[in-house]
Amino acid sequence: MANVKIDNVIKRYGSLQVMHGVNVDIEDGEFVVLVGPSGCGKSTLLRMLAGLEEISEGTVSIGDKVVNDILPKERDIAMVFQSYALYPHKTVYDNIAFPLKMAKRPAAEIEQKVTNAAEILDLTKYLKRYPKELSGGQRQRVAMGRAIVRDPQVFLFDEPLSNLDAKLRVTMRVEIKELHQRLGTTIVYVTHDQIEAMTMADKIVVMRDGRVEQIGSPLDLYDNPGNVFVAGFIGSPSMNFVHGKIEVKDGKKAFVSDGGLTLPLPETTAAEGQSVTYGIRPEHIQIGDTGVKMQVVVVEPTGSETQIFAKAGNDLIDALVKDRVMAKPRSEIGFIIDPKDVHLFDRKTEKRI
Amino acid sequence: MRKQSPIVGIIFWTVVSTLTLFPIYWLFVISVKPAVQLFSTPDVILSDPFWGNYAKVWGDRLLRSYMLNSVIISTGNAILCTILGFFACYALSRFKMSGKESIFFWTITNRMAPPAVFLLPLFLLMTQVYTIGEWRLLDTQIGMILVYCTFNLPFAIWTLRPTVDGIPKELDEAAFVDGASSWKVITEIVFPLCRPGLAVTLILTWVFAWNEYLLAATLTNFNARTLTTGLSEYVTTTGTEWGIMATISVFTLIPALIVFGLVQKHIVAGLTFGAVKG
Repeated sequence: MANVKIDNVIKRYGSLQVMHGVNVDIEDGEFVVLVGPSGCGKSTLLRMLAGLEEISEGTVSIGDKVVNDILPKERDIAMVFQSYALYPHKTVYDNIAFPLKMAKRPAAEIEQKVTNAAEILDLTKYLKRYPKELSGGQRQRVAMGRAIVRDPQVFLFDEPLSNLDAKLRVTMRVEIKELHQRLGTTIVYVTHDQIEAMTMADKIVVMRDGRVEQIGSPLDLYDNPGNVFVAGFIGSPSMNFVHGKIEVKDGKKAFVSDGGLTLPLPETTAAEGQSVTYGIRPEHIQIGDTGVKMQVVVVEPTGSETQIFAKAGNDLIDALVKDRVMAKPRSEIGFIIDPKDVHLFDRKTEKRI
Repeated sequence: MRKQSPIVGIIFWTVVSTLTLFPIYWLFVISVKPAVQLFSTPDVILSDPFWGNYAKVWGDRLLRSYMLNSVIISTGNAILCTILGFFACYALSRFKMSGKESIFFWTITNRMAPPAVFLLPLFLLMTQVYTIGEWRLLDTQIGMILVYCTFNLPFAIWTLRPTVDGIPKELDEAAFVDGASSWKVITEIVFPLCRPGLAVTLILTWVFAWNEYLLAATLTNFNARTLTTGLSEYVTTTGTEWGIMATISVFTLIPALIVFGLVQKHIVAGLTFGAVKG
């Protein structure tokens, strides 16, 4: 186990700069998820941690040792790739044993560690099979087995679940989380799926265009997103955004959208006349007669929940409620918004107010 | 849809197989006939074989040394081309370098001109440039291995490139992270995965060298003379010894048939490698 420090890391491909001074501190034993849309630089950052990409500027330290110029094999890390990267000509046993053989460990130790890893990952009966004879989930477990036998200081996961179907993804998510609890090793995990990030991470690093947008615990990011991007990225379904201005009505500040819709506002430091983006999560909206009057556009029942898309003027807002709402399209509905659930962002800087 | 009768297939493949195999059979028939019977009415059915030609060829020390030369030169050339070709392809596939595709194309330009064009320069190089004291590269086994490499190495690179490119780079990266050195990545991961392509390259370069006549006839004299050039010694001003030539041809065919038979499975896999996404 070790802490990891990414200090002002910059990455350039020729004249193109793709990473702009990234700083992340990862505590010993922490499960950190790098999340962001495609092309945000999360995989590049992970590959720099692994030693598979050069670092143009800045430093990466693992366990207080700067590893910029250290070969991957000397970094004491293990990595699970998106494609699993299993060696197709080797059996499951030989795949898992490979890192130990490379480290020239004694045969007895190799056998004991492989057997142990296979037991942890429920792979014992597949040890003689080749990767092509395994299902996606089993291949994923072999890749994890290959990582855990080395007992590394840090595990790196590069979108390991994205090739699996939805059901298997949930199962494997639990297995990885359990594995972390059992081994207590520092994990850096890359995903573009914010649900994975929310459910697995101790700490989430949200990235966009080679920059860190916000770092925090899953609930911290959910409750206090630092900007519009993080607010929209974290949470499913995504947060509703309405653009408008702060106006004073009857001596009190109120939010009035560009389309003229007035929405409840919490205590705010936003000034009168300031252009703001109003954010409210769909699951924080209740249905009731006393709410803001909207016109139903689409109702999507999923059994356990109902998602209602409604609009007032040009503003489209969706609500997610536990009740089974039988509203018809074009009928009127009331959306109750509790001011304490509202997030306000400056429209120009997109930063939280 | 009406199922086609298997008879049509059987007839078709019988005709194709006969057309393909009959010349080989005919070669064998000629090789087991005494000279006097060769120009009488042709007899397709083999009866009362005469093994005198085989005894003569096998008993001829010179021909045995030609055969040994052919085996050494073809095998040496095939192994050298395949190994060098593999490393060249690995470098072209995995390393960043400017003008990579131009280098790749440039290698094949060697094969664009007819080999006869290279005869004189090669002869001069082997007799006047590559010499150590009295020793010359001309008429040596190593000389012929290197000459064939000039022509077969570009071919090997072109054949192996798709195979090496087809091995995902993530496997190299996974092995690096797993603690492997560059050498181990090549020998433990990439090389074994290239086996089908390597088998195809090995056999084709071997066959090219084995069958080659023009360069061998010009650049060898006695010490490194190969079986194909030995064959021509039986075309003389006083006549052609067809029986002996047929026997030598049968001897020439046997190793090729054995090698093809052994690696046939890999050849089929190699030629279709990368044809579909696995």
